[in-house]
Amino acid sequence: MTFRQRHLALPVVVAIVAGCIAPLAVLVAFSFYEVEDFDLIPAFSFRAWGDLATSTTDWFLIGKAVLSGVATTVFTALLGFPVALALTRLAASAKGLAIIVLLTPLYTGEIVRIYAWRIVLGGEGLVNTLLLALGLIDEPLKFLLFSPFTIGLVLTYNNLPFMVLAIWVSAEMVDRRLIEAARDLGARPVDAFFRVIFPLTTPGLAAGSLTVFALSAGEMLTPSLLGGTSGATAMALVDNLFGTAFDWPLASALALALLATLFLVASAMAGLLLRLKGARAVIGRA
Amino acid sequence: MSNEVGREPSGLGDQDAILVNSRMEKRTEPALSPLLLAMRGVVKTFGRSTAVDGIDLDVPERAFLTLLGPSGCGKTTVLRMIAGFETPDAGDMRLDNTPLAGVPPERRPVNTVFQSYALFPHLTVNENVAFALKLRGGVPDIPARVRRALEAVHMTDFGDRYPHQLSGGQQQRVAVARSIIAEPRLLLLDEPLSALDRKMRGHLQIELKALQRRLGIAFVYVTHDQEEAFALSDIVVVMNKGRIAQKADPQTIYSRPADSFVADFIGNSTLVEGRILERRGDMATIGTPLGDITAPVADGLAGGEAAMLVIRPELLSTRGEGPATFSGTVSNCVFQGERNMVQAEVADVSLRFTAEAPHVAGTSVALWLDADHSFITRIAT
Repeated sequence: MTFRQRHLALPVVVAIVAGCIAPLAVLVAFSFYEVEDFDLIPAFSFRAWGDLATSTTDWFLIGKAVLSGVATTVFTALLGFPVALALTRLAASAKGLAIIVLLTPLYTGEIVRIYAWRIVLGGEGLVNTLLLALGLIDEPLKFLLFSPFTIGLVLTYNNLPFMVLAIWVSAEMVDRRLIEAARDLGARPVDAFFRVIFPLTTPGLAAGSLTVFALSAGEMLTPSLLGGTSGATAMALVDNLFGTAFDWPLASALALALLATLFLVASAMAGLLLRLKGARAVIGRA
Repeated sequence: MSNEVGREPSGLGDQDAILVNSRMEKRTEPALSPLLLAMRGVVKTFGRSTAVDGIDLDVPERAFLTLLGPSGCGKTTVLRMIAGFETPDAGDMRLDNTPLAGVPPERRPVNTVFQSYALFPHLTVNENVAFALKLRGGVPDIPARVRRALEAVHMTDFGDRYPHQLSGGQQQRVAVARSIIAEPRLLLLDEPLSALDRKMRGHLQIELKALQRRLGIAFVYVTHDQEEAFALSDIVVVMNKGRIAQKADPQTIYSRPADSFVADFIGNSTLVEGRILERRGDMATIGTPLGDITAPVADGLAGGEAAMLVIRPELLSTRGEGPATFSGTVSNCVFQGERNMVQAEVADVSLRFTAEAPHVAGTSVALWLDADHSFITRIAT
């Protein structure tokens, strides 16, 4: 990168510092404050950090965020690969349309989508009615709505487009002649996938995974409105601590702990995926 | 497994195949080397354009056969149909007398050296070369076989490198090693040297030819470079607009081109259109703007027919006995190192000839034609 090219990134760097680092610094400061009679008092207290360290609930919720992010990433990757590869086979004119269709869920608002899911998955919802009518079940399936299943399903659905787009772009870059070379050398289509296509699309998989992980680990609305009793999230707790409970120091400490954990997991994922041979072959070994 | 061709001898053990085989053998003349690949009436269209328009092609065992032609003539499509990447719309293809229809590329005992080499960028040279063997599973002694394949292309010191760390010529050698390791019955090469500089191309031509002799594998080679085709091949197949214009050994293609397309494509010959005045045996007299010239003639051309006189550059000389055949004016002279390519205007015809001495444009020149080695051929449709 030349001296001048590096400066093109300057506006973004400024925006990140102003919009991200600065609020974080404020959070760090707040986490050492004290609260007395609904007043924030500047202090250098470890009370909030002590509370956080000894709270099993807080760490359980942080772990749950990680699990939710990782699980959603895995599900979207498994479902996204076939979709992305199918996209590469379409005629150029059909690709644009397919992408727009793929993104349709994102055009509807999140709240609309959530209530739509309630209608689809509820006790008297579309799925249960259909299954009852077909005689496949005798009574409505309860686990469809307000359960961990619901959270997993909806998070996977919401995030699938991001994963598909990332893998698709990467898969389009794989030279078709490499696939032909693999077939020519005796690879069945499935061998060609695992030995050539998959390794060379790992950069896309990495980009998709990091995006989906970040979006789904921090998701609050879907679990709380569709997860029922299993819908508690660290995000919702932070929201509650900042708002109703007015414990800004603990809210800040929890938010920072959550952020640090997710950052570590994401870094591990990036390191793992981008160290793969295929990824290094695509993005360079410098 | 019934779709397997040749990879496993047991796959050919089926009764019908043996019957067909023995019947075929009776008809085959003993002098001919056994037939490896036979294509009959093969057609391939892409949308509205016909890439391959009903060709018949035989590839004998151990032959070096080259498909030669301009881009878009269908030669690469023929290669891709043999490899199994394209399915013919009509016609029959057999390898070792077993139909290839419905056999996917991975089950054909055919390997390809791609124009762009298509080396796997995420695998080392060793891993690229071992690819075909690893896929089969249970192949003993893969490292030793990889080493032997790399020895054959003089690349043993590069096994741990990645493709991007190699030059074009080195990548080409690795691509060849990778394609021969599984001991295919037939090796397909799609303009394998076209991306290399002239010197490297010359080197690798010699190596490829030597390798082909040593391995005894039939090669089907695609190129648009006639010099390369002549240097390498036992059989040259010249293609034009999806059809075979001529199939013969290089000398025949050069001295007796089947039509004006072949004559035009393979060299710097001057083509002069005329009408056959009289035919006597293998010779004919053709009336042209240059005058009446008697020369060897293609089979089937009769008196009164329009035809093309082919004058190769080396058949015109500035010195000769008796009266000069033509006199004209030099219009152009290009220095080519060993000799000059000169163009002279004679009766509205631009004649190209080679000369050791440079010629100055505008000067007049007398030319003697070796008519006995020129050729009268068909006008290509």
